[in-house]
Amino acid sequence: MPCDFLFIQAYDNVVLAKVTKERLLDPSSITALGEALTQILDRYPRISLVLDLADVGYMSSAVLGKLIATHKQVKALKGRMCLAGTRPVLLPLFKVTNLDKVFEMYPEAEFAMRQYRSKPL
Amino acid sequence: MVDLRVLAAEPVWPAAPALDREWLSRLDAKPEILDAVVDLLLGQGWLAAADRDWLVLCLDEAVVNAMLHGNEGDPTLPIRVCVWADAARWTVMIADQGCGFDPASIPDQENPDALLLEHGRGVRIMASWLDDLTYYRGGAVISMSRRRPTEPSPTASADSAP
Repeated sequence: MPCDFLFIQAYDNVVLAKVTKERLLDPSSITALGEALTQILDRYPRISLVLDLADVGYMSSAVLGKLIATHKQVKALKGRMCLAGTRPVLLPLFKVTNLDKVFEMYPEAEFAMRQYRSKPL
Repeated sequence: MVDLRVLAAEPVWPAAPALDREWLSRLDAKPEILDAVVDLLLGQGWLAAADRDWLVLCLDEAVVNAMLHGNEGDPTLPIRVCVWADAARWTVMIADQGCGFDPASIPDQENPDALLLEHGRGVRIMASWLDDLTYYRGGAVISMSRRRPTEPSPTASADSAP
Protein backbone atom coordinates (compact mmCIF):
# COMPACT_ATOMS: atom_id res chain seq x y z
CA MET A 1 0.00 0.00 0.00
CA PRO A 2 1.57 3.32 -1.04
CA CYS A 3 1.89 5.97 1.63
CA ASP A 4 -0.13 8.93 0.38
CA PHE A 5 0.22 10.93 3.58
CA LEU A 6 3.99 11.40 3.75
CA PHE A 7 5.36 14.35 1.81
CA ILE A 8 9.05 14.70 1.18
CA GLN A 9 11.14 17.77 0.51
CA ALA A 10 14.88 17.37 0.19
CA TYR A 11 17.53 20.04 0.53
CA ASP A 12 20.78 18.26 -0.28
CA ASN A 13 20.89 15.54 2.36
CA VAL A 14 18.56 17.33 4.75
CA VAL A 15 15.15 15.79 4.23
CA LEU A 16 11.86 17.06 5.57
CA ALA A 17 9.22 14.32 5.75
CA LYS A 18 5.81 15.61 6.76
CA VAL A 19 3.08 13.25 7.93
CA THR A 20 -0.26 14.71 6.87
CA LYS A 21 -2.57 12.18 8.51
CA GLU A 22 -4.19 13.05 11.83
CA ARG A 23 -4.93 9.53 13.02
CA LEU A 24 -2.08 7.06 12.80
CA LEU A 25 -4.01 4.11 14.20
CA ASP A 26 -4.79 1.97 11.17
CA PRO A 27 -2.30 -0.93 10.87
CA SER A 28 -2.15 -0.71 7.06
CA SER A 29 -1.34 3.01 7.26
CA ILE A 30 1.33 2.34 9.87
CA THR A 31 2.89 -0.33 7.68
CA ALA A 32 2.83 2.05 4.71
CA LEU A 33 4.51 4.76 6.78
CA GLY A 34 7.27 2.37 7.83
CA GLU A 35 7.88 1.32 4.23
CA ALA A 36 7.92 4.91 3.03
CA LEU A 37 10.46 5.89 5.67
CA THR A 38 12.67 2.95 4.66
CA GLN A 39 12.46 4.08 1.03
CA ILE A 40 13.65 7.54 2.03
CA LEU A 41 16.70 6.02 3.69
CA ASP A 42 17.41 3.96 0.58
CA ARG A 43 17.44 7.18 -1.43
CA TYR A 44 19.35 9.35 1.05
CA PRO A 45 21.73 7.01 2.87
CA ARG A 46 23.54 9.50 5.13
CA ILE A 47 20.49 11.48 5.89
CA SER A 48 19.55 14.35 8.15
CA LEU A 49 15.87 13.54 8.58
CA VAL A 50 13.30 15.90 10.05
CA LEU A 51 10.03 14.06 10.60
CA ASP A 52 7.25 16.62 10.91
CA LEU A 53 4.43 15.28 13.10
CA ALA A 54 2.53 18.54 13.51
CA ASP A 55 -0.58 17.17 11.80
CA VAL A 56 -0.69 14.00 13.88
CA GLY A 57 -3.21 13.95 16.71
CA TYR A 58 -3.30 10.24 17.44
CA MET A 59 -0.65 7.57 17.16
CA SER A 60 -0.56 4.04 18.49
CA SER A 61 2.36 2.18 20.00
CA ALA A 62 2.90 0.55 16.61
CA VAL A 63 3.87 3.96 15.21
CA LEU A 64 6.43 4.36 17.96
CA GLY A 65 7.86 1.04 16.80
CA LYS A 66 8.20 2.36 13.24
CA LEU A 67 9.90 5.51 14.51
CA ILE A 68 12.35 3.41 16.51
CA ALA A 69 13.05 1.23 13.47
CA THR A 70 13.75 4.32 11.38
CA HIS A 71 15.92 5.80 14.12
CA LYS A 72 18.04 2.64 14.23
CA GLN A 73 18.42 2.57 10.44
CA VAL A 74 19.43 6.24 10.37
CA LYS A 75 22.04 5.70 13.09
CA ALA A 76 23.41 2.62 11.31
CA LEU A 77 23.89 4.76 8.20
CA LYS A 78 25.69 7.46 10.25
CA GLY A 79 22.85 9.88 9.71
CA ARG A 80 20.70 11.81 12.15
CA MET A 81 17.00 12.16 12.75
CA CYS A 82 14.67 14.33 14.76
CA LEU A 83 10.96 14.68 15.38
CA ALA A 84 9.38 18.09 14.93
CA GLY A 85 6.06 19.67 15.81
CA THR A 86 4.92 16.85 18.06
CA ARG A 87 1.63 17.98 19.60
CA PRO A 88 1.57 18.34 23.39
CA VAL A 89 -1.12 15.66 23.59
CA LEU A 90 1.35 13.13 22.19
CA LEU A 91 4.33 14.03 24.34
CA PRO A 92 3.21 11.78 27.25
CA LEU A 93 3.49 8.78 24.92
CA PHE A 94 7.16 9.49 24.42
CA LYS A 95 7.70 10.19 28.10
CA VAL A 96 6.04 7.06 29.51
CA THR A 97 7.92 4.87 27.04
CA ASN A 98 11.20 6.72 27.73
CA LEU A 99 11.48 7.53 24.04
CA ASP A 100 11.87 11.20 24.93
CA LYS A 101 15.42 10.14 25.82
CA VAL A 102 15.94 8.55 22.41
CA PHE A 103 14.57 11.10 19.95
CA GLU A 104 15.87 14.57 19.36
CA MET A 105 12.73 16.71 19.34
CA TYR A 106 12.05 20.22 18.06
CA PRO A 107 8.89 22.25 18.46
CA GLU A 108 8.74 23.19 14.77
CA ALA A 109 10.00 21.61 11.57
CA GLU A 110 11.26 24.92 10.23
CA PHE A 111 13.52 25.38 13.25
CA ALA A 112 14.78 21.79 13.00
CA MET A 113 15.57 22.27 9.31
CA ARG A 114 17.53 25.42 10.06
CA GLN A 115 19.49 23.60 12.74
CA TYR A 116 20.38 20.70 10.47
CA ARG A 117 21.19 22.86 7.45
CA SER A 118 23.44 25.09 9.51
CA LYS A 119 25.42 22.07 10.73
CA PRO A 120 25.95 19.67 7.82
CA LEU A 121 27.09 16.16 8.64
CA MET B 1 1.81 3.94 36.33
CA VAL B 2 -0.30 1.06 37.60
CA ASP B 3 1.09 -2.43 37.91
CA LEU B 4 0.02 -4.83 35.21
CA ARG B 5 -1.76 -7.90 36.55
CA VAL B 6 -2.22 -11.06 34.51
CA LEU B 7 -4.52 -13.56 36.19
CA ALA B 8 -5.50 -17.04 35.11
CA ALA B 9 -8.98 -16.55 36.57
CA GLU B 10 -12.12 -15.75 34.62
CA PRO B 11 -13.35 -12.18 35.05
CA VAL B 12 -16.65 -11.37 36.69
CA TRP B 13 -18.90 -10.01 33.97
CA PRO B 14 -21.42 -7.40 35.13
CA ALA B 15 -25.11 -8.30 35.36
CA ALA B 16 -26.33 -5.14 33.66
CA PRO B 17 -23.61 -3.56 31.52
CA ALA B 18 -24.19 -0.36 29.61
CA LEU B 19 -22.73 -2.06 26.53
CA ASP B 20 -22.16 -5.75 25.87
CA ARG B 21 -21.60 -6.60 22.24
CA GLU B 22 -19.48 -8.74 19.97
CA TRP B 23 -17.67 -7.67 16.83
CA LEU B 24 -15.82 -9.88 14.39
CA SER B 25 -12.07 -9.39 14.23
CA ARG B 26 -12.11 -7.06 11.27
CA LEU B 27 -9.94 -4.00 11.62
CA ASP B 28 -12.39 -1.98 9.58
CA ALA B 29 -14.80 -2.41 12.50
CA LYS B 30 -12.36 -0.70 14.86
CA PRO B 31 -13.64 2.87 14.33
CA GLU B 32 -17.19 1.71 15.09
CA ILE B 33 -16.05 0.00 18.28
CA LEU B 34 -14.06 3.00 19.44
CA ASP B 35 -16.91 5.36 18.68
CA ALA B 36 -19.41 3.16 20.52
CA VAL B 37 -17.35 3.07 23.70
CA VAL B 38 -16.16 6.67 23.62
CA ASP B 39 -19.61 8.05 22.88
CA LEU B 40 -21.09 5.96 25.69
CA LEU B 41 -18.56 7.06 28.31
CA LEU B 42 -18.74 10.70 27.28
CA GLY B 43 -22.51 10.65 26.95
CA GLN B 44 -22.96 9.20 30.40
CA GLY B 45 -20.54 11.71 31.87
CA TRP B 46 -18.28 8.90 33.02
CA LEU B 47 -15.32 10.30 31.11
CA ALA B 48 -13.96 13.83 31.17
CA ALA B 49 -13.93 15.32 27.69
CA ALA B 50 -10.26 16.18 28.16
CA ASP B 51 -9.49 12.47 28.55
CA ARG B 52 -11.07 11.45 25.25
CA ASP B 53 -7.75 11.13 23.38
CA TRP B 54 -6.29 8.86 26.04
CA LEU B 55 -9.33 6.61 25.96
CA VAL B 56 -9.16 6.38 22.17
CA LEU B 57 -5.51 5.41 22.40
CA CYS B 58 -6.06 2.75 25.07
CA LEU B 59 -9.05 1.28 23.24
CA ASP B 60 -7.12 1.18 20.00
CA GLU B 61 -4.27 -0.72 21.63
CA ALA B 62 -6.65 -3.17 23.31
CA VAL B 63 -8.82 -3.80 20.25
CA VAL B 64 -5.85 -4.26 17.91
CA ASN B 65 -4.20 -6.64 20.39
CA ALA B 66 -7.41 -8.65 20.75
CA MET B 67 -8.00 -8.91 17.00
CA LEU B 68 -4.45 -9.37 15.72
CA HIS B 69 -2.75 -11.18 18.58
CA GLY B 70 -5.53 -12.83 20.58
CA ASN B 71 -7.62 -13.87 17.60
CA GLU B 72 -4.58 -14.03 15.32
CA GLY B 73 -6.28 -11.87 12.73
CA ASP B 74 -8.98 -14.46 12.04
CA PRO B 75 -11.92 -12.36 10.80
CA THR B 76 -14.40 -15.09 11.74
CA LEU B 77 -13.54 -14.87 15.44
CA PRO B 78 -15.35 -12.33 17.61
CA ILE B 79 -14.16 -10.04 20.32
CA ARG B 80 -16.54 -9.16 23.13
CA VAL B 81 -16.66 -5.58 24.37
CA CYS B 82 -18.36 -4.85 27.67
CA VAL B 83 -18.66 -1.44 29.36
CA TRP B 84 -20.09 -0.51 32.73
CA ALA B 85 -19.55 1.89 35.61
CA ASP B 86 -20.23 2.14 39.28
CA ALA B 87 -20.29 5.30 41.32
CA ALA B 88 -16.52 5.56 41.35
CA ARG B 89 -15.14 4.24 38.08
CA TRP B 90 -15.87 2.99 34.61
CA THR B 91 -14.60 -0.29 33.23
CA VAL B 92 -14.11 -1.55 29.69
CA MET B 93 -13.50 -5.26 29.27
CA ILE B 94 -12.49 -6.79 25.93
CA ALA B 95 -12.27 -10.54 25.45
CA ASP B 96 -10.71 -12.41 22.57
CA GLN B 97 -10.71 -16.12 21.73
CA GLY B 98 -6.99 -16.67 22.23
CA CYS B 99 -4.89 -18.33 24.90
CA GLY B 100 -3.49 -15.16 26.45
CA PHE B 101 0.19 -14.26 26.62
CA ASP B 102 3.28 -14.57 28.76
CA PRO B 103 3.68 -11.39 30.84
CA ALA B 104 7.45 -11.89 30.66
CA SER B 105 7.20 -11.22 26.91
CA ILE B 106 6.40 -7.56 27.57
CA PRO B 107 9.65 -5.57 27.47
CA ASP B 108 10.60 -3.51 30.49
CA GLN B 109 10.98 0.01 29.12
CA GLU B 110 13.12 0.92 32.13
CA ASN B 111 15.69 -1.56 30.87
CA PRO B 112 18.08 0.26 28.50
CA ASP B 113 18.43 -2.89 26.43
CA ALA B 114 14.70 -2.81 25.73
CA LEU B 115 14.51 0.86 24.90
CA LEU B 116 15.09 0.37 21.18
CA LEU B 117 12.86 -2.63 20.70
CA GLU B 118 10.19 -2.01 18.08
CA HIS B 119 7.30 -3.56 19.99
CA GLY B 120 5.83 -3.91 23.46
CA ARG B 121 4.92 -0.34 24.37
CA GLY B 122 1.14 -0.58 24.18
CA VAL B 123 0.67 -2.05 27.64
CA ARG B 124 2.93 0.54 29.20
CA ILE B 125 1.02 3.36 27.50
CA MET B 126 -2.28 1.98 28.80
CA ALA B 127 -0.87 1.46 32.30
CA SER B 128 0.29 5.06 32.43
CA TRP B 129 -3.24 6.43 32.17
CA LEU B 130 -5.55 3.81 33.59
CA ASP B 131 -6.20 3.32 37.30
CA ASP B 132 -6.42 -0.42 36.89
CA LEU B 133 -5.18 -2.69 34.13
CA THR B 134 -5.85 -6.36 34.72
CA TYR B 135 -5.77 -9.25 32.29
CA TYR B 136 -7.88 -12.31 33.00
CA ARG B 137 -7.94 -15.77 31.43
CA GLY B 138 -4.16 -15.64 31.11
CA GLY B 139 -4.33 -12.47 29.02
CA ALA B 140 -7.29 -13.18 26.74
CA VAL B 141 -9.51 -10.68 28.57
CA ILE B 142 -8.33 -7.14 29.26
CA SER B 143 -10.05 -5.07 31.91
CA MET B 144 -9.36 -1.33 31.86
CA SER B 145 -10.70 0.96 34.57
CA ARG B 146 -10.38 4.58 35.49
CA ARG B 147 -11.96 6.84 38.07
CA ARG B 148 -14.93 8.87 36.92
CA PRO B 149 -14.56 12.64 36.89
CA THR B 150 -15.79 14.35 40.04
CA GLU B 151 -17.67 16.93 37.99
CA PRO B 152 -19.96 15.98 35.10
CA SER B 153 -18.37 16.20 31.68
CA PRO B 154 -19.55 19.21 29.63
CA THR B 155 -20.75 16.77 26.99
CA ALA B 156 -22.99 14.87 29.41
CA SER B 157 -26.69 15.60 29.37
CA ALA B 158 -28.82 15.53 32.50
CA ASP B 159 -30.99 12.79 30.98
CA SER B 160 -28.10 10.44 30.40
CA ALA B 161 -26.60 10.77 33.86
CA PRO B 162 -26.37 7.42 35.60
